[in-house]
Amino acid sequence: MRRVVITGIGIIAPNGAETGRFWENCLAARSSVAPIPETWKAYHSFSSNIWAPLPPLDFQQFGINRIEMMQSDTTALLAVAAAKQALSMADVETSPANEKKNTLTLKAVDALRMGVFIGTGIGGISSFAANEAHHVFSPVQAKLSDEGAAGGFSGWVRFPNRFNPFAVAMSMPNTAAASVGIKYSLHGPNMTVCNACAAGTSAVGRAFLAVRGGEADCALAGGVEYLRDDYGGIFRAFDCAKTLVKAGEDPNRANRPFDKDRSGFLFAEGGAAILMLESLDHARSRGARPIAEICSFVESFDAYSMMSPDPTGCDIERMLRIAVANAGLALGDIDYINAHGTGTAANDEMEARIIERLFGDKPLVNSTKSLTGHCVGASGAIEAAVTALSIRYQTTHGCKNLESPIAALRFVRDALPYSIKTALTQSFAFGGHNAALVLAASSSL
Amino acid sequence: MEVLGLEERVRAIVKEVLKVNEAVIKPDARFREDLGADSLDLVTLLMALEQEFGGSISDAEAAGMTTVGQAQALISGLKAPSVMKGSP
Repeated sequence: MRRVVITGIGIIAPNGAETGRFWENCLAARSSVAPIPETWKAYHSFSSNIWAPLPPLDFQQFGINRIEMMQSDTTALLAVAAAKQALSMADVETSPANEKKNTLTLKAVDALRMGVFIGTGIGGISSFAANEAHHVFSPVQAKLSDEGAAGGFSGWVRFPNRFNPFAVAMSMPNTAAASVGIKYSLHGPNMTVCNACAAGTSAVGRAFLAVRGGEADCALAGGVEYLRDDYGGIFRAFDCAKTLVKAGEDPNRANRPFDKDRSGFLFAEGGAAILMLESLDHARSRGARPIAEICSFVESFDAYSMMSPDPTGCDIERMLRIAVANAGLALGDIDYINAHGTGTAANDEMEARIIERLFGDKPLVNSTKSLTGHCVGASGAIEAAVTALSIRYQTTHGCKNLESPIAALRFVRDALPYSIKTALTQSFAFGGHNAALVLAASSSL
Repeated sequence: MEVLGLEERVRAIVKEVLKVNEAVIKPDARFREDLGADSLDLVTLLMALEQEFGGSISDAEAAGMTTVGQAQALISGLKAPSVMKGSP
């Protein structure tokens, strides 16, 4: 079986719209927290009133033109933009393929042997919501206008000027993976993983298996999510499930995974992380420098509840034992765990107990969601990227706002130099899906 | 900065969407037959025109917009407040 390495990373997250900036901000404990849009409050009184918005995005900077923006869901744009960063970091050069479509081909890579594996929780839901709003409100507004009643109603409705002719392509969950495949003219396996908050981890894992098994030589793999709509309905779906963080007196200190005073997760507007994976031989043959090696990938399923993790964590524990063993390691060998760490009462309690039971207080533990908020289907990929960067740079970020830990684990407080040769990143999802990746330093490669 | 007239702006959008040589974007050029547009190109052209000029183009208006000149005339009409529809 072939060894698989990460050679490029692209990230767009609430706390950084480019990999280098994101990593700097993580190490400096800079997060993105803001009040939810004022317009949403006209429709509902939410329990949570903060979120993690994305920074202003200039997709043209990533080679995406106005026509592509009109025809694409934001998840597709985020994925293409993150993929561009990953390819650039991996030193994969591109050349124009089709001027009208604004597509590219990759140099020194066999496009027939390169796959795309992208995870998402809800795919193109923001596009669906926008077109649905047009469908409903356009005739309603016209009728009210005919009756002379639109005046009192017009401030309440917002919808796009046109029902987008690309609505199907924009709404489908595979829109991001397909867009990346079309943009870079890639003809290998192209798949979408839709297991909610574990989707990014599973997509990277599925790409790892494909490259390790020889189905592909390399792949763009990761996760993407975009959950903003004009009315806050998507936010409300999470809010009414009582999963979201309470702002408290200081919104910047509200999101606090693994803290005794945690109150839920910080909803992120969206995000994306795309990793360039390739076989070690492939990377060597084109002179690419590995950032980290992926050693194993394992999934399990709780079969317990749609909305809550099994409090015993037995299927997660089983998964982690197999993941570490399949990497040829013992539990005591793991130096660093990038936890799922959402900040909800149930997750953090269950997760902390499992880490305590299996690994004790030896490995470093942090929650990237303490900085990014919860990017749902993108989060696992962002966290796999953070895990790889932590190995590459031998440091990692602290757990923001962690003041009173719920367990005596070795939580990272400051971004100091650390020895990180092996690391685990894990994700658990609504539905009961669990996924874990073990990564290792590539210095010996 | 050069300020383009309405007709020039329409031509620029036709070029942006269809990626055809500027020389062939003449008033009597037919989108499908002469400029190689397919149905997706045509709806994209509508969206681009709406985005550029505001207003909205109805299905009936779009059906009658088969040449560059017709698009220019339609946009001239759209710019008149009496026929502006929808939100910009």
